Amino acid sequence: MRILEFFGSSAVRVALAFVLVTTVATTAVFGLVYLRIGEANEARNRVILETEAAKSVDRSVEELKGAFEVRLTNDLRRIDYAALFDSNRKVMFGNIDALPPIPVDGKAHYVATMHVPGSDNRIEPVIFVARQRPDGNIMVLGRSLLETLAFRRTVQSALLAGLAPMLLLALAIGAYFARRSSRRLTAIHDTIARIMKGDTDLRLPVGARHDPIAQISRDVNLMLDEIGRLLVQLKGVGDNIAHDLRSPLAVVHAQLERGLESSSDEQLRTVARQALAHIDKAMLTVAALLRLADVEYSPTSRNFQSIDLSAICADLFEFYEPLAESKSIKMTLETKSPVQIQGDGDLMREAVSNLIGNAIKFTPENGSVSIAVFRENGLPVVRVRDSGIGVEPAERDKIFQRFYRTSSGHRVPGSGLGLSITAAIANLHELDLRFNDNNPGAVFEMVGRRR
Amino acid sequence: MNKAEARVQTIVLVEDEPAMMDEIKGELESKGYLVRPASIAQAADAARVGDAAMMIMDRIVFGEDSIVTLEALRKEGVKVPVLVISALSSVDEKVKGLKAGGDDYLTKPFAMVELSARVEAMLRRLDDVRTTKLRVGDLEMDLIEKTVHRASNRIELLPREFRLLEYFLRHPGRVITRAMLLQEVWQYHFSLETNVVDVHISNLRKKIDTKGTPSLIVNIRGAGFMLNANP
Repeated sequence: MRILEFFGSSAVRVALAFVLVTTVATTAVFGLVYLRIGEANEARNRVILETEAAKSVDRSVEELKGAFEVRLTNDLRRIDYAALFDSNRKVMFGNIDALPPIPVDGKAHYVATMHVPGSDNRIEPVIFVARQRPDGNIMVLGRSLLETLAFRRTVQSALLAGLAPMLLLALAIGAYFARRSSRRLTAIHDTIARIMKGDTDLRLPVGARHDPIAQISRDVNLMLDEIGRLLVQLKGVGDNIAHDLRSPLAVVHAQLERGLESSSDEQLRTVARQALAHIDKAMLTVAALLRLADVEYSPTSRNFQSIDLSAICADLFEFYEPLAESKSIKMTLETKSPVQIQGDGDLMREAVSNLIGNAIKFTPENGSVSIAVFRENGLPVVRVRDSGIGVEPAERDKIFQRFYRTSSGHRVPGSGLGLSITAAIANLHELDLRFNDNNPGAVFEMVGRRR
Repeated sequence: MNKAEARVQTIVLVEDEPAMMDEIKGELESKGYLVRPASIAQAADAARVGDAAMMIMDRIVFGEDSIVTLEALRKEGVKVPVLVISALSSVDEKVKGLKAGGDDYLTKPFAMVELSARVEAMLRRLDDVRTTKLRVGDLEMDLIEKTVHRASNRIELLPREFRLLEYFLRHPGRVITRAMLLQEVWQYHFSLETNVVDVHISNLRKKIDTKGTPSLIVNIRGAGFMLNANP
């Protein structure tokens, strides 16, 4: 299993391919050398022999005999053949016993198995030239190719001797890299397995190298960081949801218990009504959560149309004016000209409604709320300013978090999700939701994002 | 009891969640309707032969999207009012449901009183006739002149107050939820965490009510409001 896995790994396959390529390349070089050595040597010998044979034709038999003797005596390497045969093909002198089986045409011919004279059964390849002399005799010159053959053999054995260790070396190098990368992959694999089992703080080993594996590991680690951050956030949200739902549920539980123990129907009815109100509150929270998820995960540009922020604010101003009046809050609207953006009218109304609703909610009687819509440096701005309780400096980072309610705002009913939904809607429209201090009070504004 | 209410109206209900089915059935039967559970196909058949006063359809029933069938029914010219209920809450889904021919769209979770209020409003819509005057007791609204009189006294209303009152006058004796008012009078398709609607109602009351008599618009606890049909 382990071995199969080892050979199945891509690194090992690469190593094997490397070995194969090296072997083929080396063998090809050696093979070429091997062939070229033989060919060149043979071709040279052929020319020399043919020329010598041609030149010797004019010499007398005596001269020839002397020349042969000198030649054969000087031939310490025993590579020369020279002999003269009479017209009956009997040897007259020289070191060849019998006429080789070649045509007598003055051209060089290859004889693969020549019996070496003076030996018992040694055989060697020889190139012979046989040429008819004017006196009818046949002169034969030859040169052994044994040296070439030996050289070839040397090359051959060198190839074999060299190839084996080289193969081993290539295999070893391949195996080393395969093992190294497989060890890293195994480490990564094991880490991922542990992370999946819940060890979410673990990170993939990166190492000091800058190779693709390290790069991918780094990317995965960044992704894990981001997921981890989201997990923490999610856990916080989950805790908040649980808390926000538990309080009304606990109250409902207590109320219903009390109701069941009560003696009169009227009392039960009262209790049931109170319980219902609390359940409604819980449902409001659930609905707001769904709404938030809906806005946050909806694809952008949905069915966006050209919408006028001024008109939307004017509409909502009219809608909220009676509420402001009922709290003796002075509400003003500042819109000069249409401010067109691409967007979803329903969503934008919801976002602005949340801002105005909040402003009125957190502004005490006789305060003021002002709404302004305009363009600043070409960017659309919706600003809602109030003279309310404002936001404590320590809480300013948190107000955009889900479920966050300011310590002073805790007594005001609400899901705590309004600003989150507004921020999500603003984001969908490429607007930034910002908070500023109004001394006293708060300024919330949605400002177009510069591209 | 008027004539429309004397006849028992059948509501065909397409819902695959047993608990939800029981709740809706119980709520509507307590209001005097006959509720007939049905599959999508059965509902379509009932609608074709005119057996249903209205239909309530869950969007996804046993993995099937009911608005596909609804779309087909509308193409055939079947006009039965349909209330689409769904856990799919996005605005896009809502638009899709209404475009397919739904007359109203409710997102789960919803309160049962919200459901029955909408059902009553939808069934009521059928009885709408092209009237030019709406009247409850001594309160009269002229839709052409855009005037309102109470016992021959002219009442001046802002345009939005006029439309608010008009909606109540078109649904006398019916429970009307805040969400319905937001949707129908202001065309706002979101929920509010403030009591703006109550303030609007109370302003309207101040204008139309006469001193010493009970208000024409009564609060229905845990549900919304109702225009007293027989003051």
